[in-house]
Amino acid sequence: MLEHEPLSESDQAELELSRRAFLKVAGFSFMGALAAGCQRAPERHAVPPLAQTEGVVPGRSLLYASTCGGCNAGCGILAKVRDGRPIKLEGNPNHPLSLGGMCATGQASILGLYDSQRLQHPLKNGERATWNSVDAEIRTQLDEVRRERKAVRFLSDTITSPTTRQAIADFLASFPNNRPKHVIHDPHSCSAILDAHLQTHGVRALPQYRLERAEVIASFDADFLGTWIAPVAFSVGYQAGRYLQGPLPHLSYHVQFESRLSLTGSKADQRLCVAPGEMGLVMTQLASRVARQAGRDWGGGELPLSSVPAPFLDDLAGRLWTARGRCLVLCGSQDLGEQMVCNFLNHLLGNYDATLDVTHPSYQSQANDRDVQELIAELERGDVGALFVYRSNPAYDLPTPVAASLRNLPLLVSFSPRRDETARLSRYVCPEPHYLESWNDAEAVDGVVSLYQPVLERLGDRLPPGAFRTRSLLETLATWMGRPRLADEQLREYWQTRIYPRSLITISFQQFWDQALHDGFVRIRNQADLMVPGVSTIGLLGFPGHGSLLAVSALFPDRAINQSAIVRPYNPATDIVPIRQARPISANAFTVVLYPKVGMLNGSHAYNPWLQELPDPISKVTWDNYACLSPAAAAALQVRQGDVVRFEGIDDMELPVLIQPGQHDRVVAVALGYGSKLSERFANIGPPWLEARSTVGQNRMVGVNAAPLLVWQENGLRYQRAGIRLVKTGRQHPLACTQQEPIIRQPLPMAGTRQPLPIVRETTLPALLRPVPDRPAEESRDLWPDDHRIPDTTPRWGMAIDLNGCTGCSACVIACQVENNIPVVGKDEVRRHREMHWLRIDRYYSNPVRSPVDGGPRKDTEVNVAHQPMLCQHCGNAPCETVCPVLATVHSDEGLNQQVYNRCVGTRYCANNCPYKVRRFNWFDYAHGDQLHNLVLNPDVTVRSRGVMEKCTFCVQRIQEAKIEARRLGHVLADGDIETACQQSCPTKVIVFGDLNDPRSRAAQLAKSTRAYKVLEELNVQPAVSYLAIVRNRQGEAAT
Amino acid sequence: MTEQPSKADLPLIEGNKSLAQVTADVCAPLERRAGALWWAAFLVSFAFLLLGTAAVTYQMVTGIGTWGLNRGVGWAFDITNFVFWIGIGHAGTLISAILFLFRQRWRNSVNRSAEAMTLFAVTCAGIFPIIHMGRPWLFYWMLPYPNDRGSLWINFRSPLVWDFFAISTYFTISLVFWYVGLIPDLATLRDRFKPGWYRGFLSFFSLGWNGSSRTWHRYESVYLLLAGLATPLVVSVHTVVSTDFAVTLLPGWHTTLLPPYFVTGAIFSGMAMVLTLMLIARKTMHLEDYITSRHIDAMTKLVLATSGLMGLAYLTEIFTAIYSGNAYEYLALQNRLTGSLAWGYWLMVACNVFIPQLFWLSRVRTCVPLVFVICVLVNVGMWFERFVIIVTALERDFLPSSWTDYAPTLVELATLAGSFGLFFTCFLLFCRFLPAIAIAEVKGILGPPAAETGGGS
Repeated sequence: MLEHEPLSESDQAELELSRRAFLKVAGFSFMGALAAGCQRAPERHAVPPLAQTEGVVPGRSLLYASTCGGCNAGCGILAKVRDGRPIKLEGNPNHPLSLGGMCATGQASILGLYDSQRLQHPLKNGERATWNSVDAEIRTQLDEVRRERKAVRFLSDTITSPTTRQAIADFLASFPNNRPKHVIHDPHSCSAILDAHLQTHGVRALPQYRLERAEVIASFDADFLGTWIAPVAFSVGYQAGRYLQGPLPHLSYHVQFESRLSLTGSKADQRLCVAPGEMGLVMTQLASRVARQAGRDWGGGELPLSSVPAPFLDDLAGRLWTARGRCLVLCGSQDLGEQMVCNFLNHLLGNYDATLDVTHPSYQSQANDRDVQELIAELERGDVGALFVYRSNPAYDLPTPVAASLRNLPLLVSFSPRRDETARLSRYVCPEPHYLESWNDAEAVDGVVSLYQPVLERLGDRLPPGAFRTRSLLETLATWMGRPRLADEQLREYWQTRIYPRSLITISFQQFWDQALHDGFVRIRNQADLMVPGVSTIGLLGFPGHGSLLAVSALFPDRAINQSAIVRPYNPATDIVPIRQARPISANAFTVVLYPKVGMLNGSHAYNPWLQELPDPISKVTWDNYACLSPAAAAALQVRQGDVVRFEGIDDMELPVLIQPGQHDRVVAVALGYGSKLSERFANIGPPWLEARSTVGQNRMVGVNAAPLLVWQENGLRYQRAGIRLVKTGRQHPLACTQQEPIIRQPLPMAGTRQPLPIVRETTLPALLRPVPDRPAEESRDLWPDDHRIPDTTPRWGMAIDLNGCTGCSACVIACQVENNIPVVGKDEVRRHREMHWLRIDRYYSNPVRSPVDGGPRKDTEVNVAHQPMLCQHCGNAPCETVCPVLATVHSDEGLNQQVYNRCVGTRYCANNCPYKVRRFNWFDYAHGDQLHNLVLNPDVTVRSRGVMEKCTFCVQRIQEAKIEARRLGHVLADGDIETACQQSCPTKVIVFGDLNDPRSRAAQLAKSTRAYKVLEELNVQPAVSYLAIVRNRQGEAAT
Repeated sequence: MTEQPSKADLPLIEGNKSLAQVTADVCAPLERRAGALWWAAFLVSFAFLLLGTAAVTYQMVTGIGTWGLNRGVGWAFDITNFVFWIGIGHAGTLISAILFLFRQRWRNSVNRSAEAMTLFAVTCAGIFPIIHMGRPWLFYWMLPYPNDRGSLWINFRSPLVWDFFAISTYFTISLVFWYVGLIPDLATLRDRFKPGWYRGFLSFFSLGWNGSSRTWHRYESVYLLLAGLATPLVVSVHTVVSTDFAVTLLPGWHTTLLPPYFVTGAIFSGMAMVLTLMLIARKTMHLEDYITSRHIDAMTKLVLATSGLMGLAYLTEIFTAIYSGNAYEYLALQNRLTGSLAWGYWLMVACNVFIPQLFWLSRVRTCVPLVFVICVLVNVGMWFERFVIIVTALERDFLPSSWTDYAPTLVELATLAGSFGLFFTCFLLFCRFLPAIAIAEVKGILGPPAAETGGGS
C-alpha cells in the first residue's frame, strides 16, 4: 500500500489508528522500558509490564538528558517525555556549554521527529526498498568499487561525534586501495579560521572562544550571538560579561564591524558599518595600533586611511591593550589573510590561553573547503567511484552545479532523512532516524562529551509494517562492513576504549556510563592534556619578530602535519594589501553578502514550519529570503520594499527587496538556506479560502536558493561577491513582515503636552553609574476601587525581562510555540498580520542624535536597535477583562489574566482594547490534520478552535504542575520552581518569572531595580511584567 | 425664504384631496400590480441581498478570516455597518416620537415610512454584532439566561452587553410603535379587500378595529404613551453604542465627546436616509401630493442643522485632542487627519459638513434631484465617519510594533452590499404590502390650515 514515503491522506488515516496503537503500547511498554532502563539501551523486544513500572505515572512528564541535534554546537537538552512521546525540549541547566540555554533552531528541531514526510524506509532510485535488499546491493557494489579502485569519498558536515567519526574512519579503512577520504563541508564554513591557525599555530583547529572572560570584544563580521559557530554558548558567555545586577555590575565593551546589520551588531555598544572589502584594512589598522601599544615590530609600513575614524581605532586599540588577556578579537571572514591578522591581534593581546583556546579546541566546525573543492574537481573528472553523503546536501548548497556529476556517479548513497536535493539524485537513500530516537555522542569542545540517547523507541517500531524503518549511520556502516551491531553497543564500546580512559575520576565504566547518561554529558581530560601535560604558553608561528615559542601542533601528534609545507612567514605588507583597498565601484554595482538567517541556518531545517514562520530577529520577515538594501541604495535604484530585483548574470536570480537601515550602501545582503526542495511541502499550508495566496513562490519553494552567489576562492568558500548589478523587474513580491512600522515614532511634543514615557528605555553606562537624584514621587491616586486585590499571602505572578541581555535570538518565541500548541498560519496570513505567536519580539530602530562613534553628526548607517519581548502583561487593571461581554477573560486570584477558550464567543473586543496588542485570534480552524505532527502537541494545553481569542498564559500549566507537585511533596513553592517555557530556553536568562508578592523572589527584586520600568505605565493598567532598561557602554546621550 | 408665503400657510397635502381620495391614493399601490420601476428596484435589491447572504454564509462556514481584519484591527466593516445602520434607524424614532410630541404635523406624511425604515435599519444593524463573532452560533451567550453552569453570567461592565439591551429594547419599542400606528390603516385596508389570505392577515392584525370613538380614544392614548416611551431611546441607543468606543482606552475612542457626537450623527444620517427613501417612494408610488416640497424643505433644514452640529463635533474632537495634552491622543488625531485613511476623513468632512451647506439655498432645497444626491452623499459621509473612527484608532494605537493597516476583502464588501440589499428589499416589500403613508393621520391634516391650528390629535 505504502509505495511512496511521504504520507498520503489515506496513509495518514491509517496512521491515526497506528498512532492509537502506538500510544497504547508506548504508554505501557516504552515508558516502562525507558524509565526502568533509562541508563540502559531499550530492549529490542519490550513486553508490556502487567504492573505499572515504579516511578512512571501517566500524565507526568519525565526528563531525559540528551544533546541537541539542531546544529553542531552540541548544547545540552532535557527531552520532556510525556506518555512515551517527547513533547518539548528544555535546555539542560547543568550543561557546561549552554547552561540551560537553547536556540530557536534547537527548540524547533523536535518537530523533525514527527515530520510525516520524513523517509520511513530506504529508497532505491527513489522507490521504496527494504533494508535487506539495499544492504545486499550496496555491498555488492562496494566490492565492485574495491575492485575498480576508483576513489571513495565520504562527504559530511562537521561531525562532533567521536564514535561516528571513528565508524566512518573504520568504514573508509575498508577501502585501502580507493584513496578513501572523509570530506567535511559546512555550508557556513569557518574553514579560514582553521586554516589561519594552521598557518599561525601549526594546527588546523578552531579555538574555543571564551566570551565570559572578555571585557573588550572587537568582532569583525562575526555574528556570534546569532548564527556563528555556537551562538547559545557565546550568548551565555557574552551575557556573563554584561551583568548589571548584584554588587559588582559589569558591562563589557563590544565593538562590531560589519557591513550588514546582524543580530550581534544590534547588541553592540559601538557598531561600525564597514564595506566588506574594507574589513581587512580596518583590522590591519587596528593591528598596527595594538602592535605600537605593545611596542612590537609591525612589518606593514604605512597604511591607507579607512572609513573608520582614526581616533576611534586609537581608542579601541587602547582599550584592548588595557584589557589584554581579558579581551577578544573575533573575525567571521573567510579570508585567510584577515583571519591571520585576527590571530595576530589576539596573540599581541595575550588572549591565547586566556579568552581563546587552541590547545583545547572546539570541534563545532571542522570544515575543510579545500577538500570540498578537490572533491568537486574529482567528481567533474569522474574519478569518484562511490560517494556517501551524510548530513550534507551538495546539490543544494554549493555554488558549483554538481548535480550532473552526482547523477553520473557509479554509486551515490545518501543518509538523508528527507528527500532533499542530493537524496533525489542518489541511487540509494538510507534514512537516518531523528536524533531523539537514536544513540550518539558529541564532543563539541575538547573535554566535554555529551550523549544522545533515544527518548522513545524508534518511531514505527511498534507500527504495522510500512511505517518508519530508519537506521542510524553507525548500524548501517557496520552492516556494510559485514559486522552488524547495534548503535548503542558500538557507542559503549567506543566509550569504554576511548572516552572512559580520559575520565577525571576513578570509577567503574558502568558508573561512568550511567553518570554520563544521567547528566547527558561528562567532563573528561582534554586530548591535549593527555598528550603534553602542562602546556600553557603558545607562540605564534610565522610572524617575523614574534618568535615561535611552541607550535600547538606539537600537542597533537595524531594530527601532525607537515609544517614546512604549510607554515610560511607571514608578511602583513603582502598578505593584507590585496584585500585592504576599498575599490571604487560603479554606481549600480553591489557586493553581495550572504548570511545564515537565525533559525533557518543552512537550510537543512527548511522543512520546519515553525522556523519558516519565525520572524527574522532584525527584519521581522517570515517565509522568505530577500535582498536587503540600505535605504539610500533602494532610493538610488528606485525600488521599494517588495519590489523584485534581478541579480544580473547569476542564473537570472530574482529576489524581493527589503529595506534595511544600518546596512552599508554598497551591499546587498541575502540569506542562505532558502529555496530548498524541502520547502515544496508548504504549497498548501495555511487556511484555504477565497483570497488566500500560496506560501511558496513561483519556483514552488519558500524563498530562493542563494548558493549560486557563493564564490570559490583559492582558500575556500567566500560569502561575499563583488560587482553584482541589480535590475528592477517591475514586479512585486509582497513580504510577510510581522512588524509594519520599523521606527519608534513618538508623537511630536506639543506645547504643554507631556511626552509619553518611552516604550524602550535606553541609557549609557556612565549615566547609569551616576547617582540619580531622588525625584519626588508623582502624586497619583487611583479613582477606581481595587476590586480584585490580591492578598499578600497568595502569589502575584509576574515577570522581569532584562532588555539589556535580550539579544532577540527568538528561542523564546519557538519555545512558547512548542509549549502552547501555537499553530502555524502560513505566509499569506502573516502578511495579513494574523500570526499567532503569543510571545513576539518587537524590534525598534531609533536614530541616535549624534554619532556614537565620534560624537559628530549622525551617519545614515548608525541606528540603535532594541529588542523587546512582548507578551501578555497580565495587567492588574486589565482593560481586556472589563469589555468582554461573556466573561471569557477573567482575573485569577493569583493575578493571572486568564482566557477561557470555551466561553469565548470571539467578539475581539478584548484585543481591540489591549494596549500591548498581544491577543491572538483564531481567524480560521488552523490545520491539525497531520496526525503524526499532532504527537508534538502538549497534552496540558488546549488546542484552540476557530473563533476564539488566545494569548500568553504565563504557562499556567507549568504553574499548576509545580503547585501540585509542591503540595504532593508537602513543600512550599520556592522561587524558581516555576519556569515558563520562554524563560527556560532563554540563553541569556533575561526572563525571570516569579511571585511579585514575595519580596525575596528574583522577579520582585529585579522589578525594583533602578533600571526597571513598565511599558505604558501611564495607562495605569498595572502590568505584571517589568522591563529593565538597555545599557550601552558608550559616552553620550542617555535618552531613550 | 422671504419671497415665499410663510410655509405654515401652505397646505401640507397638495391637490385638495377629499378623505376618500386619500384612502384611494394611498391604497392604490397595494391594489394594482407592481410597476416596472418597482420590479427593477426590487430585483436589484434582492440580488444584493442574495449576494450578501452568500457572503455571510461563506464567512460563517470558513471563518472570520475571510474578512480583512488582523491582530490589531479587530473591528472594521462589521461594526462600521452596525453603527451606521443603528444611526439610520434614529430618524424614524425622532420623526415618529419627538416630532409627534412637538406637534410637528408635517411628520404625518412621512412617519410611517420612517418608522418602517427604523425597523429595517435596526434589523440590518442587529445582524452585524452576531455575524462579527468568532463563534456566532453561540450568540445567545450574550443573554443573561439562567443556566446550569453555576454562577456563569454575563459581564454587566461590558458595553457590548449594554448594546444588546439597548438594541433589543429599541427594536421592540419601534416595532410596537409602528404596529400600533398601523392598526387603523390595516382596518381600512381590511375593509377594501376581497376575502382571501391577505384580508385574513389584515383582519388578524387590525385586532378587530371598528372605528368607534372609544377605539380611537384608546388608540390615541396608547400612541401618545408609546411616543413618550420611545423619546428617550432616540438619545439612549446611540449613546450606548458610542460607549463601545468611549469606555475603552484607545486614543481616538476614549473620549466623552462620543455620546452626543454619535446621537447627532445618527439623527443627521437618519434624516438624510428618510429623505432618500421618501424621494424614491414619492417617485415610484406617485405620492407627490402627500410628500410635498414642504416636507422636503422641512427635512432638508433638519439635515442642515444637524450638519452644523456635526461640524461642531469634528472641531471639538480636534480641540480636545490638542487641549488634553495627551500625546497619544494627539498622535491619533494626527493619524486621523493625515494618516493612511486621511482620504476617508476628508471625504467624511466634505460630505457631512461642506456639501449640506448648499441647503442654505432655497433653490437647492426645492430641486429634488439635487436633494437626493446630497442626501446620498451625506450617508456616504456618515458611513465613512464610523469607518474612520473605528479603523484609524485600531490601526495606530500605543506600540508602533503592532501598527497594522486594514483593507477590506471581497467578502466584506459583499456583506455591506447585502445589508443594503436587505434594507431596500424590506422597504420595497413594505411599500407593496402595507400603506406607506399613515392614512388616518394624513386625513387629520387635510383641509384649510386654519381649521388645524386648534387641533390636538
